Amino acid sequence: MKKIFNRTFAWRQVTENTLFFPIVALSLILLFDFIFIPGFFSIENRDGNLHGSLIDIFRNGSTVMLLAIGMTLVIATGGVDLSVGATMAIAASVAGILMNPSALKNEVFFVTDPNYTFQPLWLVIVSALLVAILCGMWNGVLVAYMRIQPMVATLILMISGRGIAQLITNGLRVQITYRPYSFIGQGWIVLPFSLYIVAAVFAISWLLTRKTAIGMFIESVGTNFRSSFFSGIDEKKIKLLVYTFCGLCAGIAGLVASSNIKTSDANNIGLTTELDAILAVVIGGTAMKGGRFSLLASMVGALVMQAITQSMYAIGVPAFALQAIKAVVVILVILLYSEQVRTFVRGVSASKKVV
Amino acid sequence: MNRITAFIARNRQFIPMISTAVLALTAYAIGAYFFVGMRNPQVFFNLFRNTAFTLISGIGMTLVILTGGIDLSVSGVVALTTVSSAVLLREGWNPWLVIVLMLLMGMSLGALMGGFIVKLKVQPFIATLAGMWFARGMCFFISDDAVQIDNHVFQIIGQTKLLIPGLMELSASRGTPPPYITIPVAVAFLLFIVVIFVAQYTRFGRTVYAIGGNEGRNEQSARLMGLPVDRTKFLVYTFNGFCSALAGLSFALFVESGHGLYAPGFELDVIASVVMGGTMLTGGAGYVFGTFFGVMVLAVTQVLIQFIGSLSSWWTKIVIGALTLIFIGVQTVLANRKGGRRGAQTAEKFVARRRLQQRLALGFSALLVVGIAAVVSITRAAPTATAETPAAAQCVVEFHEEEAESLLQGGAVIVYNRAAGPLCVDELYAIYPDGRVTADADGKKLEKQISPTEVEQVLVAISVDHKWFTNEIYSTYLNPCRQCFAHYIKIAYDGQEKAVTGVDGTTAMPPGYAFALAEIRPLLPVIVPAP
Repeated sequence: MKKIFNRTFAWRQVTENTLFFPIVALSLILLFDFIFIPGFFSIENRDGNLHGSLIDIFRNGSTVMLLAIGMTLVIATGGVDLSVGATMAIAASVAGILMNPSALKNEVFFVTDPNYTFQPLWLVIVSALLVAILCGMWNGVLVAYMRIQPMVATLILMISGRGIAQLITNGLRVQITYRPYSFIGQGWIVLPFSLYIVAAVFAISWLLTRKTAIGMFIESVGTNFRSSFFSGIDEKKIKLLVYTFCGLCAGIAGLVASSNIKTSDANNIGLTTELDAILAVVIGGTAMKGGRFSLLASMVGALVMQAITQSMYAIGVPAFALQAIKAVVVILVILLYSEQVRTFVRGVSASKKVV
Repeated sequence: MNRITAFIARNRQFIPMISTAVLALTAYAIGAYFFVGMRNPQVFFNLFRNTAFTLISGIGMTLVILTGGIDLSVSGVVALTTVSSAVLLREGWNPWLVIVLMLLMGMSLGALMGGFIVKLKVQPFIATLAGMWFARGMCFFISDDAVQIDNHVFQIIGQTKLLIPGLMELSASRGTPPPYITIPVAVAFLLFIVVIFVAQYTRFGRTVYAIGGNEGRNEQSARLMGLPVDRTKFLVYTFNGFCSALAGLSFALFVESGHGLYAPGFELDVIASVVMGGTMLTGGAGYVFGTFFGVMVLAVTQVLIQFIGSLSSWWTKIVIGALTLIFIGVQTVLANRKGGRRGAQTAEKFVARRRLQQRLALGFSALLVVGIAAVVSITRAAPTATAETPAAAQCVVEFHEEEAESLLQGGAVIVYNRAAGPLCVDELYAIYPDGRVTADADGKKLEKQISPTEVEQVLVAISVDHKWFTNEIYSTYLNPCRQCFAHYIKIAYDGQEKAVTGVDGTTAMPPGYAFALAEIRPLLPVIVPAP
């Protein structure tokens, strides 16, 4: 009797875990791939580097994973950041223009020399990230200090951000041929290099939120910002911090995306990725109202989004029509998360307990 | 003085709306002062013609936002309406049936999203986002390409000119064509009046206002008061679906075609105009009437940027973003002031500190703006200092029509002249029936040999598949933008001869022309641009 009780207790713990639903969703999609797409799980070794559909999910999902890290923290404070896509475009434009400033003279010359760059790489990366941080800070100031609703405050940058990005590159697409820069998104060290970036950003944010008090402050601000204020937490600084961090994440994602396609395309880089990132967080189980969050669950959520995209491409759904399928999956996930299903799962585990 | 302050305090809720109206009118007046063209009454009435669909969609969106929700699906539904109506008309369906079906489709999509929001308690943001993706994705299941609408009834509805009474004599006396509006504009205004009445004078409208605001707490109290919250929200989303479909229909009438990529970012324009019209995004406060002025600000900005000419189109986005910021700033300050008066017992010190903080934040954000501007101007200025050549002037496009004629006399069947573009090129190609292809670019001459059958295939494709010699292919020459190329193609085949010009980056180019271009371009020798 005691043994059975222990087992059901563990089952209950599993279903209550934040990671449970995202992993269920991911494994459902992978199961679909396993059945319908032969060779989806094969990984081949090319010159010591691993390639395959599974690796591609991780590699192509790296921008959304980066965004999801920042977005989780923002959503945990009860806000939302719609401007990450525009911030990505701005960061990419800054990087592009610093490496190949010919666009400013109203002409594009195609640099074919892979070692040519106008500014050194470190300066390119640092200034792109600084501009992204500025964008994040702008959002943070509007939300925390001007007390504008997060959705509206970030909407402003979302609308004008792409205009600003085009202004920086004079409305042209800047080709990026500098090889060290393209290593960011296309390089491989056994695994894709962008994955190491994601891992580093994740490790830093995990340490910051789980090994210091910041994580708890964020959850407390998200749960009730007034009582946090009265218990001595400076909610404004916390909000400013998370929006700035989200901007930084978007900047890194912009670098990865632009080096992946070797262009700083102000119109298309990061288009609608803010929505992907938000959905990744929602699939990860962080409530839009704020409060408790799980970075790891959001990462799994981002992988779910990417796995859907990848497997739809694999079975030959055209790129534009993909959105409709994504929408249906999102609806299914929402249904999975609804109270009705949750009580059902709880009921299953509870009834076992009685037996 | 006191009386004026009291008057302003009493009518504070109208301030955002009135300032938007004043802004729109002032901007137009300034424009009319500098540009003679803007004094033409037709330019003024074109403001309505170009934004009828924004106004229609804005009306529905205002109601949604008043309940404290948001609808991101409008652009998707607009695109879906244009595509499906175009395809149904191509299949020969009755146009009136198509219109009714489209409206029903919009309503059912809206109702579906409303159901999700009301029954499953999904965030409006997420539910309508899924709705947008669904609608946009469905467009491409229906048709990958743009579909032309050449239905007689649709043309009549789209092109009928409603003359403005009272202005006909005026324009007749000045010898200009009388100004007019179109049927979609009239429909938009009709809807506008009906919705103002519904929002202000019916039980349904008052419930909409009661639900929104106060971060969802008002919804709770409305429920406790016994108002039909769920039903009202459901109806509001259904109504917005109807508005989106109506906007989609008028968009389809405006561009006379349907495509899944139409109206990108349209929902942002609509939300921005609603906000500029003084509706609080938290819901509960605002007027449908204000949205009209918000839309007008948007329209005037676009017209001004068109008339100034040297500004690129992305300035519209920046200006709209800045205006939204200003209006939201004004709203927030007003809302904060109201809150401060209510909580009068708060410690004086606390209030003072908050005020200081607010001022600091204002200063900080001003600094940020200056900083960003500085960064932008530095990145723009630095390379110009090291530039070896002065910035290229706007290209002058002169097609070599006489040379083309002489090439045709010399036996060529296709003559293609490409000009402008970012490098200001001027290339003249000629294709001969024996497979010889010659190119002449700024004095550089190239030649290439292809098989004669390829030439014959391309000629057949262009003249038969793409109907080169029919009325479907026509010239659409405009001054090319800085990155765009200007094309001049002259084809002699089967005893017929026709020259057509076109420019990249315009929506006006007939699809067949683009296809013909795509047929010709692979045959040509590649000219490597000078670095």
